[in-house]
Amino acid sequence: MARPTPNGLTQAFQALRLHSSTTSRPVTRCLARQTRTYATEVEGQQPSALATQEQAPAAPEIDFTNFSRRPARIVPASPSYFSGSPRFIDHVLKLESLQAKYASLPTVAAGDAPRMAWFKLAQFRDYVGEPVPMKKYKSLVKILQRLNRIQPEMVPGDVKRTLESFLRPGNPYAVQHVQRTVDENGRARAKGKRKESTAVVQLVEGEGEVIVNGKSLVEAFQRVHDRESALWALRCTQRLDKYNAWITVRGGGVTGQAEAITLAIGRALLMHEPALKPVLRKAGVITVDARRVERKKPGHVKARKMPTWVKR
Amino acid sequence: MASSWCWSCLSRLRATPTPRAILPPQSITPRITTASFHSSAVQYANPTKKKGALVAVKYRQGQTLRRKKKKTTERARPPAVGERKALRKRIVLSNPNALEVEGMQDLSSETMVDARLRGSVLGLPVPMLDQLRAVQAFKPKQGWSIFRRPGTVLRRDTLEMARLFEKISGEGDAAEKGKVVKKIVTGLKGSGKTVHLLQAMAMGFVKKWVVVTVPDARELVSGDTSYSPIEGTNPPQYVQPNAVSALLMRTVEANRQVLASLKVSQKHSALPSLKASSTLEDLAKLGFQDAAVAWPVFQALWTELTATAAAPGMEKDFKPRPPMLVTVDGIAHWMKESAYRAADYSPVHAHDLVFVKHFISLLQNGQASLKNGGMVLYATSTSNNPAIYTLDIALEQLAARQAGVSPSSPDYPAPEAYSGADARILELFKPTTGKEPQFELQTLGGLTRDEARGYLEYFARSGLLREEVNETWVGEKWSLSGGGIIGELEKLGRHVRSTAQTTPVLN
Repeated sequence: MARPTPNGLTQAFQALRLHSSTTSRPVTRCLARQTRTYATEVEGQQPSALATQEQAPAAPEIDFTNFSRRPARIVPASPSYFSGSPRFIDHVLKLESLQAKYASLPTVAAGDAPRMAWFKLAQFRDYVGEPVPMKKYKSLVKILQRLNRIQPEMVPGDVKRTLESFLRPGNPYAVQHVQRTVDENGRARAKGKRKESTAVVQLVEGEGEVIVNGKSLVEAFQRVHDRESALWALRCTQRLDKYNAWITVRGGGVTGQAEAITLAIGRALLMHEPALKPVLRKAGVITVDARRVERKKPGHVKARKMPTWVKR
Repeated sequence: MASSWCWSCLSRLRATPTPRAILPPQSITPRITTASFHSSAVQYANPTKKKGALVAVKYRQGQTLRRKKKKTTERARPPAVGERKALRKRIVLSNPNALEVEGMQDLSSETMVDARLRGSVLGLPVPMLDQLRAVQAFKPKQGWSIFRRPGTVLRRDTLEMARLFEKISGEGDAAEKGKVVKKIVTGLKGSGKTVHLLQAMAMGFVKKWVVVTVPDARELVSGDTSYSPIEGTNPPQYVQPNAVSALLMRTVEANRQVLASLKVSQKHSALPSLKASSTLEDLAKLGFQDAAVAWPVFQALWTELTATAAAPGMEKDFKPRPPMLVTVDGIAHWMKESAYRAADYSPVHAHDLVFVKHFISLLQNGQASLKNGGMVLYATSTSNNPAIYTLDIALEQLAARQAGVSPSSPDYPAPEAYSGADARILELFKPTTGKEPQFELQTLGGLTRDEARGYLEYFARSGLLREEVNETWVGEKWSLSGGGIIGELEKLGRHVRSTAQTTPVLN
């Protein structure tokens, strides 16, 4: 029991039950005790208690077979307990030890290693519950990738288990993308989006007839520029007179609709002729323009525009 | 308060400092300050206002900063009255900078039915241009001004029409003299409806028919020309004397040769001044001077032109009358209430205007009315087009009947209940009974690829298009023009390409 006395040294000695300096002690204490008394201490009894202790026998021998489980002070389980992010450092240390342990195992090239979806930074922060900086997480992922490169047949069980604990739930790379193909009637159906517009194109082999929302191309797009951009995928590959397109387009304005059709026709054309991909890529037809209108913010007149400055 | 007069010298004390503007500038003349005789004026003077101090704002006076507006600089005089309109309505038929197309054939009775020439551009004969101008066959913004001389494409519809002209004129193998073909021409914007009418007029002139046209149906119902009720009609009918007079003028100007060769063969009690030996041209000219008799003159001219035999006692100079071509452009304007008002301020329906009614009735009784045969071509317009629900439904019904849908079948289009469909229009489009044949709906589509190629080659040969006209290029333009819509092809053909041209990427 640690007693709150002003003299720390005395307290320490008491705890150890060392009484080598008994002569000096009462003097100092008595001076101190005159000003402060404690309910737990009885002033008059002290000399007699000391006398009885000196007569007591020595402590029994320590029985190492039946050692007290309770340590003298509570020691944290993790050596990195007093660092800023102990759980993260534990993970790093564990992975580093694994890496060192299995450094001699043969590896494969990075491209041949099985594709793993590691935690994204935000997910990892949730997982460890600590604010891990991006850079440190990257170094952790580097170790994970090194461990992942161990030749798949020789991966030890503990490495496998450890790596799995860092995977995102619902393994995204397990889903196989189904390659869409032309259906039994020779139609290729594809969608495209641009701005607020969505276009669905059904492309069949034909003579170059185009119907947009049940109207002719001229009615749907009065500007020649819009017509050209809508059919750009067919035009730049010189396939305009080889396919018919039946198009439904909704939402947005005229330009957005035309460019949504561009994308949809490009994708539909790829179903018919996958070899055209490099050409279409170069023509900028299968590149998705994901830009949308930026939202308006409070305090702004538009998305970014600020109200005009007024003196008063 | 002290008086402003000085008692001792009777001089006026100056309460305010005299303006110094009259003095010459200080730098030139040294300032000689003389002591004022009185000093009290200065003492009593109001404190001078500081420069730039705020002026007291009057009650309810605006505080906004007022800047002097820049004075508008003198501009050139505005064009004279009517000049702008003349410029807008001007029709230019030739461009001396365009190349002359070699080997271009003119429209004639042989070439217009020649199927081998399909897809080529036939020039309009130069002497005919005045006639076509007179019937206002050309419209501004049709792009005649980019070529050396006006010409039209011989497309499938044109060839079919030319064969009809031949039949009705009594030539060729299957001659059907006296037949009347009645058509309503529709189609997309830029599909060549008006030019189709122009081709019909040109063929009419070639075949020496009498061509009567209403170049813009809207002018008759927009309230621009005078109108007056006809007495004794119930419901009241209205006549538009000036419009009739203009029609007579157009008709005489364009068909002078034909009309001058025909003599009056009927008795016209409404026109006592008409001589028995006068020609139809003289008859029509009566209506020029006096708009009041224009309508009786028009009726008289019509009976003369549709007569199959002379009245008893007038057979001497009777010649058989030629077939007639009647064209109206922008028929939709005649399917609604006009801008005219009746005496009780209720709107006058277009069908209550006798002029309009006369032409509309040709759709229903054309065969009976045009006894010498002819053609009635009424075109809709898409550029100046009122939205008329009933007409849309009626045209759909017509198309459905032509496609073989029975009017009793559930697929037959019908106006929505409570849509307020115009009963007169539905009545007009009802299937005709008896001997009278039903009028047809002719929908103009795009050119075929071959026709489009011929048309675009014409651009290239005129020097407007500097590109190689080949199969793929034409196919591309054909698709871009919505399947060969000729107005769109024209836009693409005259479109000046920039130097940075896109080269097709191909592997």
